[in-house]
Amino acid sequence: MASAEPAIETIGLTKRFPLRGGRGERTALAGIDLKVPRGCAFGFLGPNGAGKTTMIRTLLGLTHASAGSMYVLGHPVPAERAQALERVGAIVEEPRFHPHLSGRENLRVVAAVRGPETAARIAPALQRVGLSERADEKVKSYSMGMRQRLGVARCLLADPLLLILDEPTNGLDPGGIQEFREMIRALVDQEGRTVFLSSHLLDEVEKTCDAAAIVDRGKLVTQGPIAEISRGGDGARNELIVVVDDVELALRTLADSELVHEARRSDEGLLIVLEGEPDTAADVNATLVRAGVGVRRLEPVRHSLEQRFLEVTARLDQAPQEVGA
Amino acid sequence: MTEIAMQMFGADVLKLRKKRGMLIWALVLALGPVIVFLTVKVIQHSSNPQKYEPAGGTPGFSDGLRVLALFFGPLAAILVGVEAGTGDVAAGVFRDLLVTGRSRVALFASRVPAALAVCWTVVLSAFLLLVAGVYAFASNLPTPDTTLLLDGLGFILLATGVVCVVAVGFASLTTSKPASITALIGWQLVASPLIAQISSLGGARKALLSQAIGHFSPVHVGDRGGAVSMSLGTGLVVLVAWLVVFLALGAWRTRTMDA
Repeated sequence: MASAEPAIETIGLTKRFPLRGGRGERTALAGIDLKVPRGCAFGFLGPNGAGKTTMIRTLLGLTHASAGSMYVLGHPVPAERAQALERVGAIVEEPRFHPHLSGRENLRVVAAVRGPETAARIAPALQRVGLSERADEKVKSYSMGMRQRLGVARCLLADPLLLILDEPTNGLDPGGIQEFREMIRALVDQEGRTVFLSSHLLDEVEKTCDAAAIVDRGKLVTQGPIAEISRGGDGARNELIVVVDDVELALRTLADSELVHEARRSDEGLLIVLEGEPDTAADVNATLVRAGVGVRRLEPVRHSLEQRFLEVTARLDQAPQEVGA
Repeated sequence: MTEIAMQMFGADVLKLRKKRGMLIWALVLALGPVIVFLTVKVIQHSSNPQKYEPAGGTPGFSDGLRVLALFFGPLAAILVGVEAGTGDVAAGVFRDLLVTGRSRVALFASRVPAALAVCWTVVLSAFLLLVAGVYAFASNLPTPDTTLLLDGLGFILLATGVVCVVAVGFASLTTSKPASITALIGWQLVASPLIAQISSLGGARKALLSQAIGHFSPVHVGDRGGAVSMSLGTGLVVLVAWLVVFLALGAWRTRTMDA
């Protein structure tokens, strides 16, 4: 298996559910083309009901795809599902366990299903998530945060190259969320694993992930590195906020500049849309200074993922609804 | 069995034996009637030895075996089988087991021997209690010989084992614990005996599981449930048919259900 292959790749992945009473079908996933690179934390972002969990369930073979193809760690699913999932750990929706068994016994159950060599990973996995001391207590006495950690320990039994986590911070308190974030970053940065994390929480994805995809109503809206998505993709505008002593002179100067696509007044000063890359900001500064404009502040506009998310999902709100309710 | 099959069997046994509530009820259903049966007969005999014979001996063994194999043992088997068939789905763990990449049929298949192991452990403890009581309270009556004991043991394992496996298959099909327990106990205790009493159904009653099981009893089963006569071959075919049908249905549902 070549490591250059994406951790996850889907081509035209479609999932339709029949509506009750034979009233047609609801399309939960509509031709998703997704590529998740290896060795990163990848956010799968979308509002509730966008199709995130359906996507994960389909990838894991928990439900059949209606059309399209998918590859997990280079293996086609469902044709080579067993090989594909051999090094995959996943939490789908909330982590569930046998409540009458202890944490350690729950891991024993999964280790037995995974294979003979897996039992040796139980103790290190419990240690890794900080549950060693309470591993022999029944799961019904665990808090949500402990269950989430036990869920991750269960994933680690596979010594996973890929972890698929569905809304992993649901039900966690702020401290638990922070801990979880750090754990995910450590899994990626220190252990070189790939984490595919679905969430409707923009802040969580922005703070945790390197790249993301936004899905809405079963359609993939955009995908790529977080910074690129926030800016609005490859063709996105690079913008500057500039505070100057002579706004009129600055506007006249920039109107003639080839570096600038657009310049206009804003609440903070001048908003300048650059023609090229962000590193032309220095040239803009030089242009203004040469023209005798005093530049008091110049900084790139930081685009938030939230802003971008709202833009793209709002765009879908206005579009005709091709995908089911 | 391969190492992984053994491990999966061990895991399924663990899930069942740690389900304390179910296990206690199964033990109550299996041991309780034996204790009550022996206690009542001992009291009767001690209060009026001329009218009531001793609790033990071969007659006591025959009565106890009927109580255990045809009434209460199958109820314990149903509890264990249903728990084995629905436990993973009810706890929401089934999808986590699927995520390992293990085949659905393998996950279903490992439930069956685990359920049998737990069911037979429970039933065997009741059988041993019955045998101990039969010898302890035999008084002047003849005690069952080794052949009858082994036949009785085989019968009780067959009766409860078949019901347990059918329960695993049925519960895996419905995936609902309450529905499965209600349907199976209702069938076993109410519907099946009633249907067996409908003489107009004639030979069709041979298809009843309880009738086929009763055919293999080493002791007279009496008229409970109508007692339809059938050949050994027919009895075997009926038992195998019940097993095959419900195992196939359970495996099919486990293989095709969305998780």
